[in-house]
Amino acid sequence: MTFERNGLLMLGLAALLVPLAVHDQYLIHLGVMVLFYAVLATSFNLVTGYVGEFSLGHTAFLGIGAYTAAILSTRYGLPMWCTVPLAGLVSMLAGLMIGAITLRLQGPFFVIVTLAFSEALRLIADNWVALTNGPMGIAGVTPPVWIAHLDNVHATQAFYYIMLGIAAVTVYFAYRFVYSSAGRAAVTVRESRYVAQSIGIWPFAMAMQAFVLGATLAGVAGGFYAHYISFVGSDLFGFAFMATMIIMVLVGGKGTLLGPLVGALLVTVLQEYLREAQELRLTLFGIFVILIVLFLPRGLMGFVAARRASRKTARDDLATRKTLHGGAR
Amino acid sequence: MDLLLQFLVNGVVIGVFYALSALGLTLIFGLMRVVNFAHGDFYMLGGVLGWFVTERLGLDFFSGLAIVAVVMAAFGWVIDRVLIERVRDQGEEAGILLTIGLSIVIANVALLAVGTAPLKVASPVSEAPLLLGPVVLTRGRVVALVIAALLVVASHLLIRRTTLGRAMRATFQDPMAARLAGIRTERVYASTFALGTTLAALSGMLLGSIYSAQVSIGGTVSLKAFVVVILGGMGSFPGAIAGGLLLGVVEALWGGYISTNLVDLVGFLLVIVLLLFRPYGLFSLRAERA
Repeated sequence: MTFERNGLLMLGLAALLVPLAVHDQYLIHLGVMVLFYAVLATSFNLVTGYVGEFSLGHTAFLGIGAYTAAILSTRYGLPMWCTVPLAGLVSMLAGLMIGAITLRLQGPFFVIVTLAFSEALRLIADNWVALTNGPMGIAGVTPPVWIAHLDNVHATQAFYYIMLGIAAVTVYFAYRFVYSSAGRAAVTVRESRYVAQSIGIWPFAMAMQAFVLGATLAGVAGGFYAHYISFVGSDLFGFAFMATMIIMVLVGGKGTLLGPLVGALLVTVLQEYLREAQELRLTLFGIFVILIVLFLPRGLMGFVAARRASRKTARDDLATRKTLHGGAR
Repeated sequence: MDLLLQFLVNGVVIGVFYALSALGLTLIFGLMRVVNFAHGDFYMLGGVLGWFVTERLGLDFFSGLAIVAVVMAAFGWVIDRVLIERVRDQGEEAGILLTIGLSIVIANVALLAVGTAPLKVASPVSEAPLLLGPVVLTRGRVVALVIAALLVVASHLLIRRTTLGRAMRATFQDPMAARLAGIRTERVYASTFALGTTLAALSGMLLGSIYSAQVSIGGTVSLKAFVVVILGGMGSFPGAIAGGLLLGVVEALWGGYISTNLVDLVGFLLVIVLLLFRPYGLFSLRAERA
């Protein structure tokens, strides 16, 4: 707990200082994307890592959030500080609805039905032209007025700090959830449904809390994305975003708070770095994923946690042995 | 009324191929419990290989079909022994992630090798239309349909009547007991995976001879196969067939009478509604609740 809290605080501090040292617009843009993915991965991790149900439809909430913000902004001219929270709210309602249906199922059924929901939404976004402008997507979502006046580098920096704020709030909520009694109950559900039920935990309610919280956070991230990229298309519901999220969480280590953040950083940088390899990029990415599953099944943070645990045991052993020897003498 | 019959026939034709590819997935997903996201890519590989052996190597359709079956069975066997075996007892997520990685690799390697253009598999017979009353069918479709039906029967017999099939059924009932009875379960798993891969690939090649094979199709096919397997009930043979036909017919009717744009939505709606009311599928062997 303290390890995780200190790690989070240090990452936050580092993220706060980065723009002071870096003045390249491209690198700051990468920073924004890392933070964006960190929020997504954290929200996805709440359901997958803590309740233990693998939701393949998490992009549904990203897309709903992004479309909500885009529509409110372009049709009704609402400013960003208004649209982003509303995006979260709409995603939350969608999370309540979809969760109420899908969380009755478990295992592979849950996986496929959540995926079916996000695919259905993608098809609707592509075909409901009156609302979503169909396959053309919604372009021209405006940034806040004060950012529009800044030059490119400073505008990206401003977005960076907004996203950092969202990420901080996200991690704070996730932290409070995970280390609350609700979070511990969720972990109990993950480890053994029967034990959880036998001590009076209602698995559906726990899963629902995590699911709705995850949906809300993903919606907020989507709302931000709409304003930052200024374009929203149905690919937001697509499997590519989902795969990225899954890989980040599993590379970092699911069921830890630091894991998704580390995963977001690593995978975003890796994807950019692999651009050099051009056509081979995705192939290499796929191979990388397979290798992670085979050789690092609990993710980086899982690996670190295991190392820490074994070192602690070794230290404790040593301490015990010393006291025993002392006692014998 | 004439149109209705034509839609129904079209739906059945597509449905048989949905059923064939879903049979492969019901073995891998329903019985082996590997949530296989590379299934559509096996299907795609079947189509691309079929195009390669018939158009590039100039073989006739039936020897091409045999070669594709053998190559893809070997491919499936190797994938299982090298990759899937390592995550066998680690729950669903490891398998999901592994097959997503595999799917990305297969799709992109195929993209580098043959590009995005649609590839036509040489048809076994001429494309002359057959008129059955008000309904139009091509001879190629009839032949492909017959082959698909034969493949379904053959795999049914393989599972019900052969020693390997009995070993499979024993393994999926209780792997421990099967091992105690002297069954080499790792070989059974690999054979099952190989059979599933082959069925997907042959379905891809047959459909490639009617329409065309395309590298980018994998994701959609995977999803539809999952839809069919869940509709029919996990691991159920008759379920996969009924589910495939159901999906094909409903899609054809929807496309004919409602909207061609939203055809792909039908399957997802069907699955969502079905899991609400019959969470164990239409024909599940065990009354297994989701």
